[in-house]
Amino acid sequence: MERRNFLKSLAAAGMAASVTGPTGLLSNEAHAAGKINIGEVKNVKVDVLTETSWFDNDIMKKNMMDYGGAMTSQYAIPWDPKNAGGYSALITVTALDGKERKILLDSGWSNDWMDYVFQEKSNVASMLKKGEIEFMVLSHWHLDHYWGIESTLKHKPDITMYAPATFYPEDMAMLKEKAHLKVKDKAGQDVLICKNDTPHTGKLIPCNQEGEDKTGIYKLMPGVALRMFDVPILLRVRGENVLYFNVKDKGIVTVTGCCHPGLLSLFSFARSNFDQYKPYGCYGGLHISLFEQWDPKFDDIIKGVKSFNIAKVGCNHCTGWIFAEKASAAGVPIVKGTDKFKTYSRYSSVNKGNNVFLTNGDSIIF
Amino acid sequence: MTPGSEKNTSYCFVSGLITFVIIFSIVWALWRVFMDANGVLKFYTPMYGFSLVAVWLASILVISKVFEFYPFSAANMTGAAGIGRGLILTVLSLFLMLFITYGIFWNFIGKFGVAYFSPNSIVISGGSGAEPFIARENASTAIIYFVTAFIWWALAWDLGFGLWPWQGASQGVRGWSRFCSISILTVLTYAVLFHPHICQLFYPPQDKAGVAPWWAEYAGTGSAFFSLGLALCSLKWVVLSDLMWDGYPWRFLDRRGEGNFIRGVATLIGSVALGIISMVILLRIMNIFWMEPFEGGQYTDAPYFRYLHAGEISGFIVLAAFILKTYFNNFPNLSTLPLTALFRTIVSFIGGGVFYMFYYSTLSVWLLGKVPGIAQPDDTPLVWTMLFLSVVIVHAQFFGAWPVRRPTSGERLLRTG
Repeated sequence: MERRNFLKSLAAAGMAASVTGPTGLLSNEAHAAGKINIGEVKNVKVDVLTETSWFDNDIMKKNMMDYGGAMTSQYAIPWDPKNAGGYSALITVTALDGKERKILLDSGWSNDWMDYVFQEKSNVASMLKKGEIEFMVLSHWHLDHYWGIESTLKHKPDITMYAPATFYPEDMAMLKEKAHLKVKDKAGQDVLICKNDTPHTGKLIPCNQEGEDKTGIYKLMPGVALRMFDVPILLRVRGENVLYFNVKDKGIVTVTGCCHPGLLSLFSFARSNFDQYKPYGCYGGLHISLFEQWDPKFDDIIKGVKSFNIAKVGCNHCTGWIFAEKASAAGVPIVKGTDKFKTYSRYSSVNKGNNVFLTNGDSIIF
Repeated sequence: MTPGSEKNTSYCFVSGLITFVIIFSIVWALWRVFMDANGVLKFYTPMYGFSLVAVWLASILVISKVFEFYPFSAANMTGAAGIGRGLILTVLSLFLMLFITYGIFWNFIGKFGVAYFSPNSIVISGGSGAEPFIARENASTAIIYFVTAFIWWALAWDLGFGLWPWQGASQGVRGWSRFCSISILTVLTYAVLFHPHICQLFYPPQDKAGVAPWWAEYAGTGSAFFSLGLALCSLKWVVLSDLMWDGYPWRFLDRRGEGNFIRGVATLIGSVALGIISMVILLRIMNIFWMEPFEGGQYTDAPYFRYLHAGEISGFIVLAAFILKTYFNNFPNLSTLPLTALFRTIVSFIGGGVFYMFYYSTLSVWLLGKVPGIAQPDDTPLVWTMLFLSVVIVHAQFFGAWPVRRPTSGERLLRTG
């Protein structure tokens, strides 16, 4: 395999055709239309509202093991409600003219936890009420990013929302129909796993891989684009929205919920599709050693990140603490967090205190 | 050279088609009960279910290929189609599956020797990620690799060495001798091709027990999916030359119509060489569709996925070959073997393509409970393929493919030497 000839192969990419239909990772449409100029922003700030989707990894895995495994539908497992947290981030984009615009990424899992985060640990609730947050991007339909949607909608039911078009009926029932979804546990008892009493009344923009005008992306504002990667994901979920920012004089930054398609595949997409591509940074869950296990393919990722010349890596959530530790030790520019997470009422059992994660309360500026 | 006995057998393709549909339905039902992640028992976690299916397939081959049905009579087995005998052997294969998985791996080797074969031993050892779910997945991964090496050797030995060097020995002596030989070769193969991967599944890596994956530098990945893909690509040619080519070209090296050392070595080298060539071709074809993979890429961009996918495609072709042989009288049966072999191979490749399209189609989302898409890290078609293959081989070997065909005395549905 001539893997080092990747750049050469890009030249032939326009001829490539995908047999995967809507599931291919690489956009042939974008190639056909030529490279895209998404514009520029002055800078991007990401506030980590919460990255602790669950607090105890072992309980999370036991729930999965007891009711199937990684392929089981998330709506078929009676998750331990006491273990639920959530993932959410506030993104502040500074345009070239200095104007600030705000985006909410994801709405977490437990309503109790998300209410605490939005109302007590940040002023997101207030910003939603005042309309200061322009729109919400749902990265994907996983429970820890979406089931806390009520905590957002109770403050702003008509918020504009970008979400992957690959939803299931249960997802839409939660969003639009005041659903209270239950599942039976092994004892035959009904367990309420998620609910939303505030239906979404705003504009829902289902995102697919074709993008706007078959460009493969959605241009959200100058210098900001969204790409939906239609990949199959664990717990019977499909597709993830990824945010791209082109920061003036620095380069491309990706912001993700879980980064299921793979960090380097995101940069590979940018390299193939964005005009004047230059890698710079990333923030988010990177979906690597999420259960604190290891695999030789994770070593591949460490080598790959270095070869892609990514200058600033902010990671947390499903990245895996041990990946962040190993990557940092191997010279990957991992941005360290602080001890602010200790001011939160709970924190993750995987947190070893050496701050390789940007965790709850931290921020990063690109 | 003329093709095998199929051309002299009166054959009803409609009957074969109906039986195939019934077998397909049985596999579907088994999948929904045992594997489907949203079905009944949900063994497809994925590695746990994968290991059970792989061990079942190995158990079936131990009974049929390695021991030639010992202590039952091999001659009677191949000519008869008794449902009762088929049931006994099927139950025996399932018992072997449970014994090998839970007895040998989980509670003997894993408990008193190599800890990573036992989920419980991994949990007891403690450390990062060592809890029951990941422990069971990791132990299952090790078992899958070991069993794959065994299947490879069992089929390659059968095709190449045949009964050598125990032609004159009793059935029992032959069986035990082959079993021991294949097991030794399996251990060596596993140690070199797969053990380095398993030792890296833990944190910190078990680098005193196993070297870092030695293939990582040129394969672009440390994952043993590289080895697995290569093993399956080679296995494909073992099966094709056995079923589709009537054992040729290796049979040119026969002595007195029997397998021998030279034929065995030639079969091994030849099938590995063909496996490497076909894997390279498959990787090139994938590059056309998905561009070149790169180190650290994931999903279709990942080198390890490309290797695995080459193996998965080989699995589809192997399945198609077994189905062609068992239910469609190894169509076509022309006057010369080279032409016949060529057309059978083409039909197998087309059949493999049809299975490929089925597995990744909307239909399989509905039938198998899959999430649409390709390269999902928690999904591999090898599990469905191996389950299907196991049922087909059970039907062909244990039940004499009843009622689709009633072989004449001495005819073998699948070669055994």
